[in-house]
Amino acid sequence: MALDDASCQTDRAAPEPEGGIRGFWARVDRAWLLVVGVVVITAWMIQTRPDPYRRAFVFLEDGIRVTISITVVSFLFILIVGLLGGLGRISKNPLISGIAAVYVEVVRGIPLLVQLLFIYYASPIVLRDLGRHLAGILPGLAARLIAIKLNPFAAAVLGLTACYGAYMSEIFRAGIESIAKGQMEAARSLGMGYLQAMRHVILPQAIRLVLPPVGNEFVSLLKDSSLVSVVAVADMTRRGREFMASTFLALETWLLVALLYLVMTLFFARLVAYIERKTSFVR
Amino acid sequence: MSDNIIEIEHVSKRFGHVVALDDVTLNVKRGEVVVIIGPSGSGKSTLLRCINHLEAVDSGRIVVDGIPLTEAKNIDKVRAEVGMVFQLFNLFPHLTALGNITLAQRVVRKRSEEEAEEIAHQLLAKVGIPEKAHAYPAQLSGGQQQRVAIARALAMQPRIMLFDEPTSALDPEMIKEVLDVMLDLAQEGMTMVVVSHEMGFVKAAANRIAFMCDGYIVEETTPTELFAAPREERTKQFLSQILI
Repeated sequence: MALDDASCQTDRAAPEPEGGIRGFWARVDRAWLLVVGVVVITAWMIQTRPDPYRRAFVFLEDGIRVTISITVVSFLFILIVGLLGGLGRISKNPLISGIAAVYVEVVRGIPLLVQLLFIYYASPIVLRDLGRHLAGILPGLAARLIAIKLNPFAAAVLGLTACYGAYMSEIFRAGIESIAKGQMEAARSLGMGYLQAMRHVILPQAIRLVLPPVGNEFVSLLKDSSLVSVVAVADMTRRGREFMASTFLALETWLLVALLYLVMTLFFARLVAYIERKTSFVR
Repeated sequence: MSDNIIEIEHVSKRFGHVVALDDVTLNVKRGEVVVIIGPSGSGKSTLLRCINHLEAVDSGRIVVDGIPLTEAKNIDKVRAEVGMVFQLFNLFPHLTALGNITLAQRVVRKRSEEEAEEIAHQLLAKVGIPEKAHAYPAQLSGGQQQRVAIARALAMQPRIMLFDEPTSALDPEMIKEVLDVMLDLAQEGMTMVVVSHEMGFVKAAANRIAFMCDGYIVEETTPTELFAAPREERTKQFLSQILI
């Protein structure tokens, strides 16, 4: 070819970062300092004032574990529901898109706290009554419906998934819709089916695009998981309440609980920012 | 079987109140290069997009390589036989040139990764940019991107190639490198339907030329005849505007 390829190539690489301390300083995400700062303050409090902070920390420890596991488990389900909901919303099939739209609108209109209370306290009654009505027709199924007892952890995961799944559906829908129409056309014109094109062409681009809002959802979820303390899950917030009830140390208890949430949310926010940088590509 | 590889019979298509195609009939023979010209909004692109069913026709019949484009299950079969090159390239930005060319080979043709990559490297050499295999679309010039897009379509070993204004988004200096690749293809005997106003390409490669306006084919003949003696007033007008 006549054209000199090198001459017309656009080189967008930034200048090489400097070496040494200043170079490191330029490359590092300075917001990590805030994470380190909060960790240092918390650790210092626990070290210098073992009573009550170390005592409180030890008391809260299993609550921290519950908070993290409930967040992570729910988030995995939320991603699946969000993906299906997002694909459902853009479906050309009116039944599928209708169901997805009703789900999103209904769930977004009810406070998470009320949803959790409903799932834990009210839904067993719904199932029991349903079981009674079905007793004559399907005795086997009816007996099982009546016997269902929701475990608090499962109820919490169910509630968080239902609620956040709706928000996540909207994020995925927006992400998929923001990929240019020509991408789907190019994939289809190569003989790929709709789902193949989604999987290999649209979603890999959409997922990178929605990473920031998805990461924000994770951090919000971590905070909102404190609401599950009302449905008998011994998460960090509930353990904090128990500690306060036995010691009457309101200030110290909630200060420590707040700091521990902050450590986790700041850390995950940084982690999301890091993943975002690693997976970005020039568009 | 007739030697027409594409048969378009009395095809009409409207978008809302706008009539995009109005009773269009056009046949393309095996190995023929047909260029469609016409003012913007005349239905050229729509006609091209109907051939691989990116747009569904409202009425009429399209048969591609003996396969009627009516049933849903035929469509992916036809699309794999018909390569398409777009005005804005539509490369997959998250994949390298190599990834762009191998994806459909692996997913649709079920070729192994090695086989797909070997074909991809051959095609990149054919379009003149063998060294760009690992470059992402954003790192390529427009002309290079369009050549990768052509290689991507060729990797499916199509019997027909459709070009939708392949050079109109390019800087003038890059048009030639794309047209050279298209000329090579035409000389190899590829059946091509090209929407383009590159008169150099028309003169060098087109067997037939169709002038479209307001959704129908005003005039269809050989390039020599069209340029020498256009029959219709509308054609004369259009040609006088583009052949300055």
